Amino acid sequence: MDLMKVFSEVNPLLFEGLKITIAVTVLSLLLAFVLGLCSCFFALSKKAPLRWISKIYVGLIRGTPMLVQVFYVYFAIPQLLQFMGFGVRFTPFTAGLITLMLNAGAYMSEIFRGAINAVNAGQMEAARSLGLSHAQATRKVILPQALRICLPSLVNQFIITLKDSSLISVIGLAEIMYQAKIYQGRTMQSFATYTWVAIFYLVLITLLAYLAKYVERRTEI
Amino acid sequence: MTAQIIVNNLHKYFDKLEVLKGINLEIEKGQVVCVIGPSGSGKSTFLRCINHLEEPTHGEITIDHVITTDPKVDINKVRRHIGMVFQQFNLFPHLNVKENIMMAPLELKLKTKKEAEQKAIELLERVGLSDKADAMPKQLSGGQQQRVAIARALAMEPDIMLFDEPTSALDPEMVGEVLSVMKELASMGMTMVVVTHEMGFANDVADRVIFMDEGIIMEEAPPAEMFANPKNPRTIEFLKKVLSV
Repeated sequence: MDLMKVFSEVNPLLFEGLKITIAVTVLSLLLAFVLGLCSCFFALSKKAPLRWISKIYVGLIRGTPMLVQVFYVYFAIPQLLQFMGFGVRFTPFTAGLITLMLNAGAYMSEIFRGAINAVNAGQMEAARSLGLSHAQATRKVILPQALRICLPSLVNQFIITLKDSSLISVIGLAEIMYQAKIYQGRTMQSFATYTWVAIFYLVLITLLAYLAKYVERRTEI
Repeated sequence: MTAQIIVNNLHKYFDKLEVLKGINLEIEKGQVVCVIGPSGSGKSTFLRCINHLEEPTHGEITIDHVITTDPKVDINKVRRHIGMVFQQFNLFPHLNVKENIMMAPLELKLKTKKEAEQKAIELLERVGLSDKADAMPKQLSGGQQQRVAIARALAMEPDIMLFDEPTSALDPEMVGEVLSVMKELASMGMTMVVVTHEMGFANDVADRVIFMDEGIIMEEAPPAEMFANPKNPRTIEFLKKVLSV
């Protein structure tokens, strides 16, 4: 059990995996941001069917494990599409991207909804009393404040999604955890390998958390 | 000439609770009307019905010949001509003072950026805060924030101003600076409806004082008469309470 030897061998592999981890996490979060915002507007809509759509979506994601969602997107949906006559197969990257997007989008929807509700009702009234429409007031007055309120929660979601991306390794996406599993399978150095993987994630996430704190301080109101 | 604001049999319910029980009122252009009364009397609700922050349950409101209670009327257009000042100021905390004032005229494309900025500077001078143009709202005292809120409302160049207890959230030493801005506004011929507990202000500035209680107008008179010689027993009781302190 040679910790340092394993470290020097596994480290380059983890950095290879890091590229994929970052790519799938960042891309999925950008899409989830838009999806979450849409779902949140549905949730706050006056039209009941739109509220139901948001409720069902958030309920489905929150009510099922992430691993089930990964398998569902990668295996179940392509088979369903095949029955319907469409021969679609997702690459592990696409399937991972879709899963993480759908998953984070649902949680972000709730984060946004909470933040919008947390903006003082007097803000909307003041904007409306000046003649702005509901949409204009939302865009110019409510959303800028809501985004600042939910920044810490969004950072938290970023960290959760980054960690959840390790689950995508089960369908063969060559991210950090996948690289580690391959190396461990080859060398049987379970303790050393997974110790280094844990430290690798820990350092990565700690750095991100510091960055987030900095951004948060800069945008305070 | 018809009145600028005509309120006809206005009722407002919150669920089953009737807050306004048939308000009738006409306000001429340039008049200053102060609304007084105990809390829960419906005076703020009445004020908020005028610009439809509260939707009237039934009754009719006419402003500058437009029946605003008609569902076909674009209420956003109507509100541009009615400024409102709130008890809690409600400045936009993410914008600085100048941006607060410029936001609505710019967003509604009524002014170019240059015109809006010029207007903001002019208004800040008028409320005595020229040096605070770049400050953030939280850096200002309550009295300063409320004066910015007045400037923000004036940036839309309204011909009616509504004040909802504008000095109630202020420390006592800051009440005067806000009232003097309002006095100046009144002297320039602005139509004003002011819900207030400042009896001195009502006495000095109002053309008419309205006493509301339990969702109706109990008594209405010029200030001299209202304060010296109230007729309704409820008015007498209320004024005795607020004037004895």
